[in-house]
Amino acid sequence: MSHQFAGKPLRRILHIDMDAFYASIEQRDDPTLRHRPIAVGRSQARGVVAAASYEARRYGVRSAMPSRVAQRLCPDLVFVPPRFEQYRAISAHIHRIFTRYTPLIQPLALDEAYLDVSDHLAPFTSATALAEAIRADIYRETSLTASAGVSYNRFLAKLASEQNKPNGLFVITPRQGPKFAAALPVERFHGIGPATTAKMHALNIRTGADLGRYPLDGLRAHFGSAALFYHDIAHGIDHRPVEPNRPRKSLGTETTFSVDIPTYDKAEPILRQLTEKVWTSSLKHHVSGRTVTVKIRYTDFKTITRAHSLPHFMTEAETFFTISQGILKALSPFPKPIRLLGVTLSGLSLQNDADTQQQLSFFELS
Amino acid sequence: MKFTADRAPLQRALAHIHGVAEKRNTIPILANVLLSHDGETLRLTATDMEIALVEELPSEGDRPGATTVPAAVLFEIVRKLPDGVRVEFEQADEDAPLIVRAGRYETSLNVLPVDDFPAMVAGDLPHHFTLPSGILRNLIDRTRFAMSNEETRYYLNGIFFHVAYEGKTPFLRAVATDGHRLAKIDAELPLGAKDMPGVIIPRKTVTEVRKLLDADDVSIVISLSETRIQFQVGPITLTSKLVDGTFPEYSRVIPSKNDRVLRVSRQDLAAAVGRVAAISQERSRPVKLTATTNHLSLSAVSPDQGVAQEELDENSVTYNAAPLEIGFQARYLTDITDQIDVEAEFAFSDNASPTLIRDTQAPEALYVLMPIRV
Repeated sequence: MSHQFAGKPLRRILHIDMDAFYASIEQRDDPTLRHRPIAVGRSQARGVVAAASYEARRYGVRSAMPSRVAQRLCPDLVFVPPRFEQYRAISAHIHRIFTRYTPLIQPLALDEAYLDVSDHLAPFTSATALAEAIRADIYRETSLTASAGVSYNRFLAKLASEQNKPNGLFVITPRQGPKFAAALPVERFHGIGPATTAKMHALNIRTGADLGRYPLDGLRAHFGSAALFYHDIAHGIDHRPVEPNRPRKSLGTETTFSVDIPTYDKAEPILRQLTEKVWTSSLKHHVSGRTVTVKIRYTDFKTITRAHSLPHFMTEAETFFTISQGILKALSPFPKPIRLLGVTLSGLSLQNDADTQQQLSFFELS
Repeated sequence: MKFTADRAPLQRALAHIHGVAEKRNTIPILANVLLSHDGETLRLTATDMEIALVEELPSEGDRPGATTVPAAVLFEIVRKLPDGVRVEFEQADEDAPLIVRAGRYETSLNVLPVDDFPAMVAGDLPHHFTLPSGILRNLIDRTRFAMSNEETRYYLNGIFFHVAYEGKTPFLRAVATDGHRLAKIDAELPLGAKDMPGVIIPRKTVTEVRKLLDADDVSIVISLSETRIQFQVGPITLTSKLVDGTFPEYSRVIPSKNDRVLRVSRQDLAAAVGRVAAISQERSRPVKLTATTNHLSLSAVSPDQGVAQEELDENSVTYNAAPLEIGFQARYLTDITDQIDVEAEFAFSDNASPTLIRDTQAPEALYVLMPIRV
């Protein structure tokens, strides 16, 4: 365990998360949409839900879900076209509210941010009171609700904000932190995805407590450089600072196979899964990109990457996949089996930029 | 096998060969050049299975033979040899390495067997015609920039050559589009081309053929079928597969009712676009054009860097229609102005519809450009 920070004073971190941000804005601006299940997104064949109102979530509608699936789950679902311009303007307003309280703001997306208020508590006596003041400001000035998580690091603050959603607040104190993490199933830890979860389950690690007990060397053997992070968060420890001004440059994912893959045909379905995963995360971060990079590592650990850039932003998951597919095809037949495959989307821009500076096409040719 | 050849023609041939040979190194023999000497001629062949290029040059030596060596390596060696030198090639038997000598330089290159070198079959090429190199060069240069490189729409990854009619007069027409812009140019229909099928010449072939057209007023013999095309340029024969797809009905994207006409000096416009766009950090570099009577204002905005603006007045602009604001990607604009000599004529409809652009001195060429929303 890393004790080098033990002497540091306790931090006070907030995670502020707007409740169903896009959908709530649409319901706020159009009274006829209130109390109805709505989805922000396009209803077309290949449209995707960008956000769902709480009424729609009751039917199982989730963001990043294909519009068709959402419509099937909830036949009364109303689709509202996104207005990123508006979302961004409101997001900027909320950001200005944050700046009244602390300069240490790390936005994660248009609708959520971490705030470090350790040195900016006054005149409040607690981080909780400060968080309530922020939530009140947001509601008074935008008529929108936010949920807040209050704790002593980012990891726990984010977990806390989910506890009393919507329009709620939850505190995880330093005394509760380790217990909270210990009781949590590993799949609920941020940073532990489905693949890692499966691996942990195979090692009989099911909860934070299991993870915390597992010897660090053993974790290293299975999870490499991520082992220390896992070990720490299992004990409720997270030293990552709140970092303002860190816009995302790229979104990517990669996977190492349990059995090496010899041919393109075997790799293609995995490539599809990877591109879908990255696409979903691009929707979540409200960015679109124009550069696709495919990475492969051969059994001898030789690693190559190939990239392809478009003159405009990609607007469809299928385009992203087709381009990745083209790159991977050009690398086949593989001279040696491959042990790792990855795909990255970069050249990112917030979606409203991509929207407003859209290069038009000859519709007759598409 | 043993022969000698002059460095200069050898280097020229290897430059062409090097362009065609496969560089992705997936099938090793495709990265090789096939050298075959018959006593008085050296034949160099390269193929990536899509394109095959054969070039002949004089050689001397009484031991004929053939072998294959890496094209990139041989090109690099010959390129670095001194001017005017005679290069000697020698191979003891067909499995032995190929010795290359020039002056005091000597190298020994590993070979791959000639029998493994794939032959590209041209098949029957029923249509033949001849084009002066200058005309073919013009057809390519005015359209190639508009080819798409998106693999999703492979049928746009090339130039569409076909016979088109204006009234009753047939033309040989070249068209390329990437869905955002389109370039079209007509040339007089050569004898023998009237019945040719419309063909899409792939991007790489366009690039490699273009390299063969620098000499002026050479006759290019073109032969083609529905699936293959062959260009004969003196001692060089380039055979290529054609894109197996249907080129879209491009005439539907060419507007006919655009009546807001702006004439502008090509040079002044291109320089202004370049200066104004310099502020933009984005790849698309949008430039906004604002046209009012005999006046054109260009502007670009960058959220981080600031604002840039430049005015063109009646000395370089003629415009008499209703005021208009429209945005274009800077590169798309300059790709087109690069094709224009003195004066560009824009015909606009509105800021979300295709804009028509012509060279007032070259009516045979026409460009269509979609705006960007700014």
